[in-house]
Amino acid sequence: MELIRQQKLVVQLCTDHALLEEFLAAPAQVTTREGLTVGAESLAKLNPGQLRQFARLLRMRRLGEAGTALPLTRRALGHRFAELFTAYALQNPPPGKRLGQDAIAFVNYLLQSNPTKPLNPVWLMSLASYEAARVEVEWLGQRKLLVRKFPHALRRLLTAFEADGVPKGDFSGWTLAVWCSSSSGRQPRHWLW
Amino acid sequence: MGQKTEISNLLANLPRLGAGLTYHEPFLADLLQKQPEVDFLEVHGDRYLDAPPARMDELAMLAEHFTVIPHFTGLSLGSAEGLDAVYLENVAHLIKQLKSPWWSEHIGYTRANGILLGQPAPLPFTKEGIEVMTRNIVTARRAIAAPLILENVFGPLVWPGSEMDPARFIGEVLGFGGVGLLLDVADLFTYAPGLGIDPIKLLDRLPLDRVVQVHFSSSHDSQADSSESRVQPVAEGVWQLLNAVVTRAPVRCLCLELNDNPPPLGDALKEVERARTVGRQYKRWN
Ligand SMILES: [Fe+2]
Repeated sequence: MELIRQQKLVVQLCTDHALLEEFLAAPAQVTTREGLTVGAESLAKLNPGQLRQFARLLRMRRLGEAGTALPLTRRALGHRFAELFTAYALQNPPPGKRLGQDAIAFVNYLLQSNPTKPLNPVWLMSLASYEAARVEVEWLGQRKLLVRKFPHALRRLLTAFEADGVPKGDFSGWTLAVWCSSSSGRQPRHWLW
Repeated sequence: MGQKTEISNLLANLPRLGAGLTYHEPFLADLLQKQPEVDFLEVHGDRYLDAPPARMDELAMLAEHFTVIPHFTGLSLGSAEGLDAVYLENVAHLIKQLKSPWWSEHIGYTRANGILLGQPAPLPFTKEGIEVMTRNIVTARRAIAAPLILENVFGPLVWPGSEMDPARFIGEVLGFGGVGLLLDVADLFTYAPGLGIDPIKLLDRLPLDRVVQVHFSSSHDSQADSSESRVQPVAEGVWQLLNAVVTRAPVRCLCLELNDNPPPLGDALKEVERARTVGRQYKRWN
């Protein structure tokens, strides 16, 4: 059925920025490569403005989800959260079907893309990695036991976040975080040292 | 004819709920105090599939205090590749757990080739589009006993090569599928002009006897590129469409749809109260 291939291509165009630009420059080239036959001509007539608008709406939806998964990271970054997430989402389609996977991939992207120029505040990446680890255990439930070490004093930092605004200070120190799930259907236990 | 009578009877027996809104976690504490101001809650059903225990406990607690209607996007009834059997099983399980009077999905698709979109894409208004929807609706209704209602998706993309006008397309999908309509008036308001049709004219051509629920919201389109929470009032044009639907259709409930960055609950409840008054005015509920 041609609609299967058409839907596949529309989904790809709206989640893969580079492919969208290639398609808008030379639609026939892309539809041929994707194996479209009867439906190719019709898809080539898709409105570029509408495609871009839909792609942007999808990124906004992903941004909203990532902000829910990483609430303190979003607070600490302020408007830069949206900028950084958009830069990530333009290069990376949604990685999976489950809620939280995109947020984890975003944190990995931050870890890989800024090794020389760390983000401010200095503890930002420790906080983001901590929130990503929490999503991995508490949302995705893929691990029975997770142990992570962070180069900042996270317990003090999390307490400082209980007040309004973004905590000041460098929160130097070390933290060991442990999550342990005893059975499915139960909230995992969690310790910070 | 027989099928039409059957669906009409089914819809006529659905409860008149009143006015409510989409649930978001930050609302939780205030919601319980403001319970009399909320006639029902719509939840994003996809959030509760494969969900952590804390989120499921919260949902169970909500269901103790409110009528909860699950609204899905991830089942993707418009996918030409067919339904994801595991996803369907999980949806069916959740609906059974919630004992909801009905559940909802879209006339659109969110899944193709392993990629899941967070927002439905429209379908081409073609015979093939109707066939795909009908086939998937039949599969879903076999697995789920609760009545299904489907939401219009008119934009932002418009497929080239339409074989019929959007109202006929929706009418045929609902007719062949034997399901009700969740009419999103903000979607109608925002995207009908892009289809070259005046929203109120399109509204009049829709099968309004099938409307069970209405979605209204500030805008589908103007979400800023920001993660900051913002408050946007529902546009007067959207209210006019809502009024028009309530006068013409046997609506069971009006739902303020809130996606990302919901406003403070107090602000949202003012809009909910305004909708409740509209429903009361036309004797849709007491
Ligand atoms: Fe909606």
